[in-house]
Amino acid sequence: MQSPKARDGSDRPLLSVVDDDESVRESLPDLLREFGFAARAFSSAEEFLSSDCLDHTRCLILDIAMPGMSGLDLQRELKLRRQEIPIIFITASTDKTVRPRLLEQGAVECLFKPFSDTALLEALNAAIRVN
Amino acid sequence: MEVRPELASGEVKHLQRCINDLISLLALPAIWSGGDPSQVLHTLLDALMRMLRLDLVSVRLIGPVGEAPVEIVRLAELQRQRPMPSAHEICQALSQYFKNGSRKWPPLLRNLMGEGDVSIVPLPLGLHGELGVLVAASERTDFPRQTESLLLSVAANQASIGLQGARLLSHQKRVASELDQRVVQRTAELAAANEALKKELAERRLVEGRLGQEEMELQRSEIHKAAIVDSALDCIVTIDHEGCITEFNPAAEHTFGYRRDEVVGKHLADVIIPPSLRDRHRQGFARYLATGEARVLGKRVEMTAVRADGSEFPVELAVTRIPLEGPPSFTGYLRDITERKRAERELRRSEAFLAEAQHLSRIGSFSWRVATDEITWSEQLYRIFQMDRDAQVTFELIGTRIHPEDLSVFREHVERSRQDGSDVQLEFRLQMPDGAIKYVQLVAHTRGDHGELEYIGAVQDVTERRSSEEALSKARSELSHVARVTSLGVLTASIAHEVNQPLSGIVTNASTCLRMLAADPPNVDGARETARRTIRDGNRASEVIARLRALYGKKEPMIESVDLNEATREVIALSLSELQRKRVILRPELADDLPRVTGDRVQLQQVILNLLRNASDAMSTIDDRPRDLLIRTEPDGNDRVRLSVRDVGIGFEPQAADKLFEAFYTTKNEGMGIGLSVSRSIIEHHHGRLWATPNDGTGVTFSFSIPCKPEGLGDAENPVNRIDLSADAA
Repeated sequence: MQSPKARDGSDRPLLSVVDDDESVRESLPDLLREFGFAARAFSSAEEFLSSDCLDHTRCLILDIAMPGMSGLDLQRELKLRRQEIPIIFITASTDKTVRPRLLEQGAVECLFKPFSDTALLEALNAAIRVN
Repeated sequence: MEVRPELASGEVKHLQRCINDLISLLALPAIWSGGDPSQVLHTLLDALMRMLRLDLVSVRLIGPVGEAPVEIVRLAELQRQRPMPSAHEICQALSQYFKNGSRKWPPLLRNLMGEGDVSIVPLPLGLHGELGVLVAASERTDFPRQTESLLLSVAANQASIGLQGARLLSHQKRVASELDQRVVQRTAELAAANEALKKELAERRLVEGRLGQEEMELQRSEIHKAAIVDSALDCIVTIDHEGCITEFNPAAEHTFGYRRDEVVGKHLADVIIPPSLRDRHRQGFARYLATGEARVLGKRVEMTAVRADGSEFPVELAVTRIPLEGPPSFTGYLRDITERKRAERELRRSEAFLAEAQHLSRIGSFSWRVATDEITWSEQLYRIFQMDRDAQVTFELIGTRIHPEDLSVFREHVERSRQDGSDVQLEFRLQMPDGAIKYVQLVAHTRGDHGELEYIGAVQDVTERRSSEEALSKARSELSHVARVTSLGVLTASIAHEVNQPLSGIVTNASTCLRMLAADPPNVDGARETARRTIRDGNRASEVIARLRALYGKKEPMIESVDLNEATREVIALSLSELQRKRVILRPELADDLPRVTGDRVQLQQVILNLLRNASDAMSTIDDRPRDLLIRTEPDGNDRVRLSVRDVGIGFEPQAADKLFEAFYTTKNEGMGIGLSVSRSIIEHHHGRLWATPNDGTGVTFSFSIPCKPEGLGDAENPVNRIDLSADAA
């Protein structure tokens, strides 16, 4: 896969989106590209793990609740594989108490749908900066 | 005697002849030497007959004492030719004179030899005629002439000498032979005595030999015994009647740490018995010697012994009295049983561990020898069955403890096991004498081949576990009940969740749209796409809200004639992917020619969807069997229609059936749970009934039954009564 060039010509950082919701997979990558990133979308954690983006992804935008391997399972799996990819969780759940726990476990951010584009951008900056 | 010259030459010849005869006669003894009397006589008689031209000569010998006299008669040739009496008769005739002795012999005998007289000359033989008489006879009248008498005398003399000599010789011979005989006899006797002596000697030698053999035997057995004692692994110690050591074998030397020569002669008590026990030993020994009462003889006893270094250790001991006459002595066989004692302790400990472990885990073990029905139980198993430890365990006895309802199953398993030796796994109930029920699990497998089939198994009392499991599931159901009850806030969250998805899409797409349009140059195509998606998502959101409102809002229900099969198929279509994702196997059994019902199609579909989702959720943890979901429609009586949804899930307690229909809420993230309470409301407004039944196997069947044409509902065109759910909104 050829990384698309940024306006300034440099290679764009790759972001991977993992969500079983189709609308998220449709809409989010476009927004990310508008931000200036390269973006790939996966319908399941398993699909992401078996892809070639594993080593290139600069940040993972990850749904929590998915059939099969959940977002938390994927986080654990990446830890086991020593893949240190910053994770931004997104969730349609309204349970606000999950956020502190997720941050404790190493997530960069946990955003609740619907989230604003600015909230997302802030989280991404934090993620890429850390990396 | 007068010698006339005219007769001189005749005389001289005659005298010459006489002297010659004399010389011959004198030479006779030389001839007779070594001969016997008869030989003497015969030669003499021959000589006389010839010399004297006798007509008859006879001799009678008186034999030695005991022997018969010998009588010989010799006749001249001439005389023999004449008829005359036999010799015997002549002897007879002469015998009378013989008897009388020689003095009484007449000079003439008449008719001795037939007619005529005969001149006889008797000549005594021997000094005194003791030998016998010789009689010479002739018919000549001038017999005997002087010379003839002289010759006869000399002959008689010589005969006497010869006879004497012969007799002497024969006597000598006789004596010699007697002597010989005696010698022979003596020799024989000596030989016999010698033989006897030899025999005796041989016998003695035999006896000695036997004795020597016995000695050898004794020696041999001594050597054997020594070998046994010396090489024995056990300590062998022999003591005399005073209790002093007389034997101390190498094993004893090794065990106790003394050399044999160090201990022989010492009191046993002082050597191998610990100081604290010495008095008791001495007393016992003394008592035995006094009373014959033996406490330790002939049986195995255990006691403590002491080594040379003072260390005490346990021994096993057997003492026997040595069966000889005289004062008693004893042999003791000792064995150091330190190791064995330790092993026994270890065994007891591990047995105690096992018993304790069984007790803690409430597991008892057993063995069952199939051929003999011999059953062995561990202590814990007696406890589980609440049976006396001393009870003889039989299948009959076991049967008295098994719950009557489980007894036949138990027996079947026992019979099957008897046949095929297969592994056993069985859960059943026990009933104690006081009525208490126990739940037990049994596992067993076989050990040994078919000739000696033996089951080894364990039984666990799971009553507590079961009751805790029951308590747990009760708690869980209570918890979920509690969760159900606090439904409103979570219901709201769920609704919000459903709405948030499309909303999020809207927000994202809208943001994207703006950025795309703000780009230089503007990305109009991209913006258009995002706008399209926004509208779509917005529609989705309103649909969700519309659905919600349909259930909880004040919306006008649509009454129409509904084909329940059709409605069901639509719901199936909607939820198929979701069900497949959850590995649910859907089996529709929709009746042909199902009568139509009158009601709100959408609401009925919501109920069906709810039931499907609940069934699916109930099976979400089932992994050991297929997640079968059966949905069935059928006529119910003449005027009703029934729909059932059957799962093989975790089910619920019969007592909890009603609680299910209380304000129930699913906490699942997917989809919209409208709750069984709402479903029931919908059905009841259709004048129907919604209920749940546990299945025979696993899982639950939810069913609703609604009339085809409910009274008061009217037909589709003329809705008379509206189904208003608003009042039921939880």
